[in-house]
Amino acid sequence: MNETVVLKKKEGIVKKPIFTEKKSYRPVNVKETGLAFIGHEISDDGNAMNQFLHYDQLYTIRHGWNSKFFIGLLEGKIWGTRCPKCGDTWVPVRTHCWNLDCNLEKTEWVEMPLNAKVHTWTIAGWSGRSSLKRLPIILVYAVIGESKVAIANELHGVKPWNVEFDMPLKIVFKPKEDRIGVVTDFHFEPADGWESSPTNKEKERIKELVEPVYRWVKTLE
Amino acid sequence: MSRKVCIVGGATTPFDYGPTGFESIEGGAAECIRETRKDIPEFSMRDIDLMIYSHFSVHFGHQLCSEWIIHDHLGLVGVPHYRVENGGNTGGSALYAAALAVMSGHHDVVGVVGWETMDSVSQSQGSEFIAMASDIRYELMVGGIYPIYYAAMANKWMKDNNVTEEDVATISAKNRNNAMDNPKAQWYRNEHKYITVEDVMNSRLISYPIKKYDCCLMSRGVAFVLVCSEEYAKKVNPDGYVTIDGMGLSSCTIRAGDRLNFPGWTERYGPGYPEMTEFGACRNAADRAYKMAGIENPLKEIDFGEIHDAFSTSEAQIYKALYLTDENNIAQFLRDKTTHMYGEIPMNPGGGLMGYGHPVGATGLMSMIECFYQLSGMIPKKHLSKKTEVPDPECGIVNSHAGTGTSISNFIIRRV
Ligand SMILES: [Zn+2]
Repeated sequence: MNETVVLKKKEGIVKKPIFTEKKSYRPVNVKETGLAFIGHEISDDGNAMNQFLHYDQLYTIRHGWNSKFFIGLLEGKIWGTRCPKCGDTWVPVRTHCWNLDCNLEKTEWVEMPLNAKVHTWTIAGWSGRSSLKRLPIILVYAVIGESKVAIANELHGVKPWNVEFDMPLKIVFKPKEDRIGVVTDFHFEPADGWESSPTNKEKERIKELVEPVYRWVKTLE
Repeated sequence: MSRKVCIVGGATTPFDYGPTGFESIEGGAAECIRETRKDIPEFSMRDIDLMIYSHFSVHFGHQLCSEWIIHDHLGLVGVPHYRVENGGNTGGSALYAAALAVMSGHHDVVGVVGWETMDSVSQSQGSEFIAMASDIRYELMVGGIYPIYYAAMANKWMKDNNVTEEDVATISAKNRNNAMDNPKAQWYRNEHKYITVEDVMNSRLISYPIKKYDCCLMSRGVAFVLVCSEEYAKKVNPDGYVTIDGMGLSSCTIRAGDRLNFPGWTERYGPGYPEMTEFGACRNAADRAYKMAGIENPLKEIDFGEIHDAFSTSEAQIYKALYLTDENNIAQFLRDKTTHMYGEIPMNPGGGLMGYGHPVGATGLMSMIECFYQLSGMIPKKHLSKKTEVPDPECGIVNSHAGTGTSISNFIIRRV
């Protein structure tokens, strides 16, 4: 008569991943302070006031089904995805095919070769704060292996004025201990045996444009 | 059953970086509406039956739902409101939403307020925030600023179309020099000088082939546009109202590199367009707008435009996407100065993003307002001289543009 119903916590309905491997490469002096008014200024005529609001937020990017690509970077591999229905392959990856005929078919992972070809390029003489000291930077959109699309990344190992359309590239990873699972863990370099074409008017113009950049970067040190 | 959509008025605050005299967004919105009421005194705030707010980034706004602050300040409590966000095409998309509301017959008088306060962070922080509209997983740390993606697209486009750095530099000089006739323009209020193609060529490298003067400005500013039914337009501005005769909105990929082979595009437009260097969404939005407005030869039938010159190179790419010229003629089209004030189709007489400024949420509205002023004969009143007045225009185009061409809208506006 006095039976008690024990409500047991159900387990195993949703299997959640457990994260044992954790790495932090955050600069030590960065702290979440939350929102705080941290100062103000008033114009000399007394008519205008500016106030300073500090906001520092740590985001968790949950890569979920895309995770294999980013884990691959740590291992020095480029993973692409392939649609089993239409056969298209992509890096950057898609977890479902975007060909409307494939009705969001789930894709499968394929390891890509470590070679690519330049589709287009630019030479950055200005950048975000974190990249200023590395200027000038050659950025290329390149097609990796048989990918149907291009991916943006830096090209090293060549003078800015020598980059060319359609030039063959190889993918080079940072040393294992320096990799953090982001696309800048790798960069492009000219494929072995590639040689730049002789100088021309455009190359001279690019030299003229990047010289002040080299000089300016030296003043940052 | 769709109704005609009209524009009867609008105004912006001065655009600037740092103090403008209109630092509070709600104060700026109020001043834009006061200026509009001066132009059309018959318009009463009581007439507004829907408010659409156009604002890009909370990162710049440091306030979620800042539109609610503006709405209360305007005394419009109880009037329905919502915010539209669509990157650099936020303004164009808000106008699109307003036009749909009127077209449907559900609303008669729609106010659109747009703003951005990009000077609330440092310029370099601002650049990083804008880069967060790229796919940050793949692109944020590669290059790190938006001009780099545009430059890579423009570099190949220029080669493919035989366009030189000097050719696009004519656009940079044109828009900034036009802005010298516009007292609200950021270029007029700050640098305040006429520049030459040589000045552009000598400005510092941002990302080849784009230099500093090929880039638009980072701005603070607010804008207001009044969109309404024709019945209402005839009541408040019978001699000066304009009609939105055509409009188109389209999309392309967030990552430009994905454009190389998107099967959906090929299905709709055939192989080859867009190459990742072309603004396919601009072309598609133009197709829709031209069809709706019955435009067959845009170069002949459109008198001028206010278009999204985030970069001089993109303005040139837009000319082509709008069918004003093609790959065989684009270089000559630029060298003939076809889009200068005295050319066949002046573009950005108001100064554009490079001259007037680019406070993202307000930008598309600014372009629409300048277009409206031209068509309703208000330029002598709003600009400093008649130098930037298009002679007797009947039809203008307004273009608003987001991402690396990721969302684009076009509007065909006609004088009645
Ligand atoms: Zn498929």
